[in-house]
Amino acid sequence: MRSAALLLLLASPAFAAGDPERGAQVYEGCQDCHSIDKNDVGPRHRGVFGRKAGSLADYDYSPALHGAGFVWDEATLDKWLTDPQAFLPGVRMFYHLGQAQDRADVIAFLRERAK
Amino acid sequence: MDETRAKLDRRQVLECMVWAGAGVVWTLSGGVPTSRLIGEAKAEESGFSFVQISDSHVGFAKPANPDARATLKEAIAKVKALPQRPAFMLHTGDVAHLAKPQEFDDAHEIIGEAGLDVHYAPGEHDIVDPITKAAYLERFGRGATGGGWYAFDHMGVHFVSLNNVVDLGKNGLGSLGPEQLAWLENDLGGRSASTPIVLFAHIPLWMIAPDWGWGTQDGAQALSMLKRFGSATVLNGHIHQLMQKVEGNVTFHTARSTAFPQPAPGTAPGPGPKLVPAGELRKYLGVAEVAYAPKASPLAITDEALQA
Repeated sequence: MRSAALLLLLASPAFAAGDPERGAQVYEGCQDCHSIDKNDVGPRHRGVFGRKAGSLADYDYSPALHGAGFVWDEATLDKWLTDPQAFLPGVRMFYHLGQAQDRADVIAFLRERAK
Repeated sequence: MDETRAKLDRRQVLECMVWAGAGVVWTLSGGVPTSRLIGEAKAEESGFSFVQISDSHVGFAKPANPDARATLKEAIAKVKALPQRPAFMLHTGDVAHLAKPQEFDDAHEIIGEAGLDVHYAPGEHDIVDPITKAAYLERFGRGATGGGWYAFDHMGVHFVSLNNVVDLGKNGLGSLGPEQLAWLENDLGGRSASTPIVLFAHIPLWMIAPDWGWGTQDGAQALSMLKRFGSATVLNGHIHQLMQKVEGNVTFHTARSTAFPQPAPGTAPGPGPKLVPAGELRKYLGVAEVAYAPKASPLAITDEALQA
């Protein structure tokens, strides 16, 4: 059991522990294009953690995101926020966060405060 | 003087002054900027002046500014109250936040209150796809080519409005594209080097912070066309804060937003709305007045916050 847990731990990518409180501050910058409860330039963020990418029926996604099929979790959000254009060429978003801690904090904010 | 301060050259100190929100009159003489506080000096009375406003983001309603329509109205009231009536107004883009017809119409109505001729350059919030491009150009693109760029003249000064918000580059850098650059080369080509040129566009044409997309990837090609002119001024928005530099005969200036401030480059995880303490928002918003005097090549730029 212990070794299984260890294996699971080793198999999971390492992410910095996120601070949702600080993530709320980092999220201020995201609000040029995003809101929690309303579609804006970008889609609304309520429930984004665990949601299938490109799946809101009332938001007009770019073809690159529409039906992309993956789920937004720590790993995909981290890659997306590092460089959305490199992760999925052709998407509209250019905003990125260069620091791993900033990404971890904003992901923690989305996971815990935008359920 | 501490070590950090000692490392700042004179221009950087002046930039700090404007960032802190002080109202400063900029007078450019022979390419050298001098600054005086508003109230101590007035721009030349002869010639003409025009006003630049930017980034009104009509429709934006979030903590950084719950009512961008209201602050735009205040900015327009400020313009109407100027002691010397400006010849016209420039709007350097992001008129609306979501490029919705209602936002465009509201902006048009509020800005129209100034009773001035207004020349626009589009922002990336105004043109997001072919539909919004058509809606924007229908209302604000008077005289523009299909691509959204155009030029006009006023009392011997040549003004050029560029569109650098389509086909954005890495990190959202602005882009002019070969068709627009060819048009610009042709437009400037036959003009005398003594013609004062004012180039305006939304995203800064000079590279301010490439990691934040604050620059134009092919902007250097446009700027190289300005080198032969005796006086050239480049006015931009997008970064929601004052910045100015002088390079040779070219003066670069970015305007405050009328909606919300953004952080100075490198002081935040990324660009975007900056939340300021309650009651202080209007110190970070404002309008710019630019004065042109025919005999003294300089253009004097006066930035004024909505609240001191």
